[in-house]
Amino acid sequence: MRRDAPRPNRVLPLLMLVALAAWLGLVAVSVAPNRIVPGTGFRAHEVVGWAGALGACLPPLAVAVLAWHPSPARLRHALVLIVLLLMALPAWLGLAATRLVDPELPQARLGLGSAFWVLLFLLLLALIELRSRLALSRLVGWVLLVPVLLAWWLALASWLEPLALLQEYRARSDQFATAVWHHLALVGAAVGASLVIGVALALLMRPHAGLQRAGFGVLNFLQTIPSLALFGLLLAPLAWLGANVEWLAALGVRGIGWAPALLALIGYSLLPMVRNTFVALEGVDPAVIESARGMGMSRRQVFLQVRLPLALPVILEGVRITTVQAIGLTAVAALIGAGGLGGFIFQGLGQAAMDLVLLGALPILVMALVADALLGALSERLHPGGAR
Amino acid sequence: MTPGLAAGLRRWGVPLVWLGLLLLASLGMAELEAVFRWLEPDSREVIYRRTEFLTLLGRHLLVVGVASLLAIVAGVGAAVLVTRPFGRDFLPLVAQFASMGQTFPPVAVLALAVPVLGFGTLPIIVALLLYGLLPIVRNSLAGLQGIDPAVHEAARGMGMSRGQVLRQVELPLAAPVILAGVRTSVTINIATAALGATVGASNLGDPIISGIVNGNTAYIVQGALLIGLLALTVDSAFERLLGWRRIRFR
Repeated sequence: MRRDAPRPNRVLPLLMLVALAAWLGLVAVSVAPNRIVPGTGFRAHEVVGWAGALGACLPPLAVAVLAWHPSPARLRHALVLIVLLLMALPAWLGLAATRLVDPELPQARLGLGSAFWVLLFLLLLALIELRSRLALSRLVGWVLLVPVLLAWWLALASWLEPLALLQEYRARSDQFATAVWHHLALVGAAVGASLVIGVALALLMRPHAGLQRAGFGVLNFLQTIPSLALFGLLLAPLAWLGANVEWLAALGVRGIGWAPALLALIGYSLLPMVRNTFVALEGVDPAVIESARGMGMSRRQVFLQVRLPLALPVILEGVRITTVQAIGLTAVAALIGAGGLGGFIFQGLGQAAMDLVLLGALPILVMALVADALLGALSERLHPGGAR
Repeated sequence: MTPGLAAGLRRWGVPLVWLGLLLLASLGMAELEAVFRWLEPDSREVIYRRTEFLTLLGRHLLVVGVASLLAIVAGVGAAVLVTRPFGRDFLPLVAQFASMGQTFPPVAVLALAVPVLGFGTLPIIVALLLYGLLPIVRNSLAGLQGIDPAVHEAARGMGMSRGQVLRQVELPLAAPVILAGVRTSVTINIATAALGATVGASNLGDPIISGIVNGNTAYIVQGALLIGLLALTVDSAFERLLGWRRIRFR
């Protein structure tokens, strides 16, 4: 071995070998004549023959070989290959659709097999691994996904007509838009309200130790109760309020619907919000406060111009945790009639229509990831001294 | 009362009270018929009787328990492996994935597991196991990496083998952080398992779902009450365990 030969990267070869095993061994796609009948599964070689299936193994093998003798240039080549593979996934589905789906049957649909999900997962892991090995910034990581998303968009718009997920979407595209809007509105309202209440509570609790213990006790208690239970427990009192208090009923407060959902969401959101605001305000170096006071700033000025700006990144961290949590909890709220994307999940589970479940679950997952990335980047940017 | 028993009761008093309430509620729900009748005057039936509450509680505990135990073994095991010299290559990927995976909403994970794994109890266990792994891996990594390298070196210098250092130094020192991760994981699992009632696993989520479907508030309150009590019992037990750990290893 040469003296300067770097240690082989064993992670990527392992990921690629598992990916190849999944590609050759698991069901790649399934085809069903309509929505009700369960689909027939096809492995990769049953779609494109052994030559095609084995030929497709070459790029992953190349990634594994490149990573075995890593250098920055070779890892960059591997990165390009991974992005190309991610772009090839929709093309592969299109090929499978033209080969397997009978164009005479308008109801026929193409389902995604377990091999597809495993491949997608492993390729994304490989992308994360390469990004951290090459020390690329978060931004570059997201930019790398742009061509992949473009490829998917192109495929969905033109030749993935029979994809079951797309057919479910087509059948209820208006409902989908409303559901996304409801979901975002509920999350936004819950996070907004809990931000205002949370900051107020944190400011109120700061001077009183007893209040702190009691406040955090109550909030911890709330956070422990499972969401389904809390939503359920709120049904009865709100139904009573809706039936007996006129102006609340006029607002649309009923046992079922957005009211109990919003209340429960705010209840859950308060703990991370109050805790982070509290920690953020307390965490400001007392010496900084003292020197600000020494410079002749009033208490108000110290708070608004020194303490709050210094605490802002940690408060935003609370907003990030709260938002991601609320996006998931809002899905559960669909069970008590609050609308949102959770509705598709539970409808789909009820009808055993898995593609409908996906239509609800995938956007929720994407929303959570995007919210996490955006708010994380914002809080990094607000750190004193700019981005780290 | 012996002093040891008194101290034990003082330490475990709160979880024991919650446990008592939980058992009392699951055995004696029918005694509260009058209350539920007041809550739901128009329904024919006000006590959920399709399955015994104690059976539902048992199934809930079984699913959460099996998933959590496997998650602890696999999660701590993975964290130990990637912090050993031979596994270091995998550390960045595992750490990044564990922290990124925290953003996946549990409902979405559960929903995505169904198309792949099918309906029933086993898919729930697998979904809970996979999801419960993430906080445990993340905290175990934080705990193991947070140990001062000097401590490690001193232990090695005393002639301890690598295995001894792991068992007698690293794991005990990391235990509070690991336990905090286990607590997060179990709390999430109790809540998510209740959602399992929507994908064909029978547990304490059943009365809630059935109540929502049939518009019977009494059923919902019964299910919610039991899940709430179970969550509080487990969480307060963990709180005691963590408090005790902190004192012992301070």
